[in-house]
Amino acid sequence: MSGAGAAAPGGGLDARVRLSRGAIEVDVALTAAPGQVIGVLGPNGGGKTSTLLALAGVLALADGHVHVGARVWDDGRRRLQPEQRAVGLMLADSLLFPHLRALDNVAFGPRSRGVDRHRARDRARTELDRVGLAAHAAARPRELSSGQQARVALARALATDPALLLLDEPLSALDPDTRARTRSDLATRLTAYDGVTVLVTHDPLDALTLADHLVFVEDGQVTQAGTPAEVLTEPRSTYVATVVGLNLYAGQGDSHGHVVTADGLIVTTSPTEGPVWATIPPSAVSLHRHEPEGSPRNTWRLRIASVTMQGQSARVGLLGDVPLTAEVTLESVTSLGLQVGQDVWAAVKATEVRTYPR
Amino acid sequence: MRYAARWPSRLALGVPAALALLLLVVPLVALLLRADWARIPTDLATPTVLPALRLSLTTTSVTAVLCLLLGTPLAWFLARSELRATSWVRALITVPLVLPPVVGGVALLMTWGRNGLIGQHLTPFGIQIPFTTVAVVLAETFVAMPYYVLAVEGAMRGLDPRLESVARTLGASDLRYLRTVGIPLVLPGIASGLALAWARALGEFGATITFAGNFPGRTQTLPLLVYVELEHDPQVAISISIMLLAVSVLVLGVLRGRWLR
Repeated sequence: MSGAGAAAPGGGLDARVRLSRGAIEVDVALTAAPGQVIGVLGPNGGGKTSTLLALAGVLALADGHVHVGARVWDDGRRRLQPEQRAVGLMLADSLLFPHLRALDNVAFGPRSRGVDRHRARDRARTELDRVGLAAHAAARPRELSSGQQARVALARALATDPALLLLDEPLSALDPDTRARTRSDLATRLTAYDGVTVLVTHDPLDALTLADHLVFVEDGQVTQAGTPAEVLTEPRSTYVATVVGLNLYAGQGDSHGHVVTADGLIVTTSPTEGPVWATIPPSAVSLHRHEPEGSPRNTWRLRIASVTMQGQSARVGLLGDVPLTAEVTLESVTSLGLQVGQDVWAAVKATEVRTYPR
Repeated sequence: MRYAARWPSRLALGVPAALALLLLVVPLVALLLRADWARIPTDLATPTVLPALRLSLTTTSVTAVLCLLLGTPLAWFLARSELRATSWVRALITVPLVLPPVVGGVALLMTWGRNGLIGQHLTPFGIQIPFTTVAVVLAETFVAMPYYVLAVEGAMRGLDPRLESVARTLGASDLRYLRTVGIPLVLPGIASGLALAWARALGEFGATITFAGNFPGRTQTLPLLVYVELEHDPQVAISISIMLLAVSVLVLGVLRGRWLR
């Protein structure tokens, strides 16, 4: 897989997960160096969680391998049980043991791995302190807020010194306020963690703020992998483009700056020859009642399919030869009198169109 | 017209409903009316009753412990298994629930008897199971275990399977997960399963008399003694029955809120 960073000597993750899950054939390769956080994104039901559970050893691989550091966790034939792996797992619902106090929840891992009660509790206290919950050691899970429960779950997952930390939508069960705070707590704690983290999420904000490498999984396959910067500027699937908020087109480029897509023609000042992706930022689209004139630019007559508000701007979904999402000010929505079902002219400067090989 | 149409239907439903209620309640009332309350303590302290009481308490307690030790792991396997065969196993262990207890007794004889499936291998060692206290326990366990297993399995199915996944990634083996998380979380289910199984074992008659016989002090449990005393001294039979009724009501109290609303 390109750009994933080879597993560093003496640590890191090198895995290829292949398994069948219902109608989906999952085939996902992941590599990471110690200390790295891989964000796995994708639509729900695309195989993200299955990949994670296979890394944990809860699901069996049909084929492939899981290597962590120098150890073989799974080679497609012999498989270590979850309790034999140095792994930490945290799921969307914190899934704390409801009958145990926070301290004993966190001490559960060390105790299960043979540490004596006293030392396990010491360790648990340290871990709770690192997520800022030392004062809540004696609380039962139901006495904690959802954000605190998530932090206890993180402390519990890290108390066994896992070489691989698996987070499945760790923030999705939280309300927006708590989520923002817990996200920064999580980021702080992960900086101090020297193992590999795999973070499954469908929230791009989680991925962009927490991960230093992104892997997109759709229908069980990796559709794109790279650093957040690469993915943000050069999406390679419709889903990725939606996540990073760009209009994306697949087409055939020539040296004159023409990109021929399935139904339309896009003009760019940065030509790439051959099969190309072309992107248009929604903010670069201007809308007009009448056909605009002037400099080399793209103009299309499109029909308004949707208008949604986002703060002081509006996103206008347009359908036609070149389907497009435009981001315009609320002011222009009213002055142009934009309404769903109406036809408008959309214009994009050729300098705003980026192309890169497909 | 409304009333004309209403009363016949009221009667058509009300009469059978009242009859059903009477059929269930009158026998209990009759038993209570015939009881000589002052005599009950002395009746229960007679040399015939005390050994039966002691035997019933010990055998039902051993049965309860067997249910706990053997039935809990079985319930766990049934609860977590996704195999198709599991539903067959579940159906199989349900059979003793509906089987006539006498048939259960015959089946136990065919298993543990002198020439039985297992018994024939014990005979050379001088071990004889039928008509011993051990046979009483086996008979009671045979009829009571299904109640326990089904109750506990139901409770375990209610647990989030992801709790087990998390526990295992934390390093817990199956046994440790069950001991520290699974069982503590299904304690109410275990309690009601034990109460059900114990009550069923306490009332066991048919399988016991067939397989274990009716030997005072050895295999004669309270229900068997009631049967004998009814010929001999009916008042003692009534006193024992009152006590068993009281115990049943007590068990209902334990189960209340869980099985009854």
